[in-house]
Amino acid sequence: MTEKTKNQQTDENKIIDGYINHVLETGHEPASVFKFAKDLKMKEAAFYEYFTSFDAVKKAVWELNFDKTIHALEGQEVYKTYTSREKLLGFLFTWIEELKNRRSYLLAVYGNGSLKDRSFPTELKGFKSKFKDFANSIVNEGKETEEIAERPYLTDKYQEAMWLQVLFVFRFWLKDDSPKFEKTDAAIEKSVNLAFDLMGKSAVDSFVDFAKFLFQSK
Amino acid sequence: MTVKLNEQQSIPVSKVQRAAKFISTGAKVGGNYMKHYTKKVVNPSLTKDELHKNNATDIYDSLSELKGSALKVAQMMAMDKNLLPRAYQDKFSMAQYSAPPLSYPLVVKTFNQYFKKGPESLFDTFTTSAVNAASIGQVHKATKGDKEFAVKIQYPGVGSSVISDLRLLKPFALRLLNMNERELDNYMDEVEEKLLEETDYELEVIRSKEISEACNHIEGLNFPKYYEEMSNARVITMDWMKGKHLKEWLETNPTQEARNKVGQTLWDFYDHQVHSLKQVHADPHPGNFIIQEENELAVIDFGCVKVIPEDFYSGYFSLIKKDLLIKEEELDQIFYDLEFISDRDSPTEKSYFKNTFQEMISLLGKPFHEETFDFADDDYFQMISALADKISNDKTFRKSKQARGSRHGLYINRTYFGLYNLLNQLHSNIKTTKPEWLKS
Repeated sequence: MTEKTKNQQTDENKIIDGYINHVLETGHEPASVFKFAKDLKMKEAAFYEYFTSFDAVKKAVWELNFDKTIHALEGQEVYKTYTSREKLLGFLFTWIEELKNRRSYLLAVYGNGSLKDRSFPTELKGFKSKFKDFANSIVNEGKETEEIAERPYLTDKYQEAMWLQVLFVFRFWLKDDSPKFEKTDAAIEKSVNLAFDLMGKSAVDSFVDFAKFLFQSK
Repeated sequence: MTVKLNEQQSIPVSKVQRAAKFISTGAKVGGNYMKHYTKKVVNPSLTKDELHKNNATDIYDSLSELKGSALKVAQMMAMDKNLLPRAYQDKFSMAQYSAPPLSYPLVVKTFNQYFKKGPESLFDTFTTSAVNAASIGQVHKATKGDKEFAVKIQYPGVGSSVISDLRLLKPFALRLLNMNERELDNYMDEVEEKLLEETDYELEVIRSKEISEACNHIEGLNFPKYYEEMSNARVITMDWMKGKHLKEWLETNPTQEARNKVGQTLWDFYDHQVHSLKQVHADPHPGNFIIQEENELAVIDFGCVKVIPEDFYSGYFSLIKKDLLIKEEELDQIFYDLEFISDRDSPTEKSYFKNTFQEMISLLGKPFHEETFDFADDDYFQMISALADKISNDKTFRKSKQARGSRHGLYINRTYFGLYNLLNQLHSNIKTTKPEWLKS
């Protein structure tokens, strides 16, 4: 890493941390980029080098968490040997661990039910597209190992379903009041198992196959 | 593991879903009864065996999906062989060995949470799938250097689901065990307390150490060493005990001598715990014991330990004496203390219950009355069974709105039932030792 990129990184992180601290201490967004930059003892222009608005900072928090999660996952020796099911499980467990470091901030921003309506906050977009790439690789791998059954039309929707699951886990975790968030652990475990059981080959596939056969050989 | 269970199809998440699971099982069981009675109209000679088998399968399926405390109760019911018809027993004893496994990423997460390290860096090797299920946790095998370890990991959220599970289980227990509600409530508290204790892995390590040290002198008995530095609220690390489970061992057709030896070790272990330590490993189901080379016995699970209160102890065991030489008033006092009878009973009720309990206790105490006792004797177990049947069908009992018997008796009875059962399966002939004061 060159000196310059290192500097960039620290400035970027400084802004993110500064923003989070401000939200935590005051309970709302900074009044303006000007004031915010002044508090951080940097020029307003320096802020725009990395972000265009506060929403962009919020967006970066999500993406940062995602990157850290993937980094931590790939650091685990055993990750490579995981099945698709275990990879998704591993992702969610690690992701929630990462989120724990920022729980107060996330509660302050999303705890009031802003995730309730179907249209999720726009700042999740970057995270969503990154996650979908990840989900896509899981699905493809699952199809190869036949862990996930190939079904016309439906298979393309699986990554979307996994994304909904991520949102479900996040909401569940926000409201979780069990010690060490162990209920969230259970929720992850159970929901992923259910999802993969549904995606795997099941009686329904055999039924459709059989029905098709009957129809065709009439 | 002899039976490989299917990977879990789905695990009900919320309390509502768990409740729904129980309800659907309830409906299934109801359906089985209906099927049975309609069949019976056509064919009056039909026995209840098939019905029991259907019920057992449906109940087991639903319990094993719920895991945790519900599975624990299934195990408990499986132990009281004589309380439940045989078909229930066979199906439930599966629960004693295996439940659907939990994922490896969760294991890794648990390790990271408590040790800040993954299992691979703590041990040289670590099995990614569980080698055994332990009802509220699962066991992985690990190695480090030339040592082998058994690492038990608890399912997340077990403690908090204990209470709600028990509440959900109540209507079931009412129906299955033919108990009235008040009677059940009295015991539910005791069960709840013990189950919550069982989820406390730190307590389990302390107790394991205590009891294994106190029983160290018993010949042919082995305990794993527990590693406190590698144990915590959710993980227990202990030595891996090589050997066979009871069922596997019995399949190797051991000699009578071997059977007696293992049985005697088991008896000595319990004798010492009950009469000297006054606290007892109250979970003698086959999954908790391993038979090793030279027919030595290893005890591997101390989740459930019952501390026996002194006054309960003296009352309970003085009833076991062969010839009750105690005066009538003293006997009455013991019955009062053990809560078999109370002031609310009419004189006829009092004498009725006194007689029944005396009959029951003298039957259960029979092995103590002789120098040696042959537990292979199935007639004896049929007698217990018949008495249990008689009691559960008895009108006076069913009408009585009172709970009978001290709550402490629950786990002590369970312990002895379990012990007798194991000895029966082993076909052991036992020198039934007893403390001095019990010899008359």
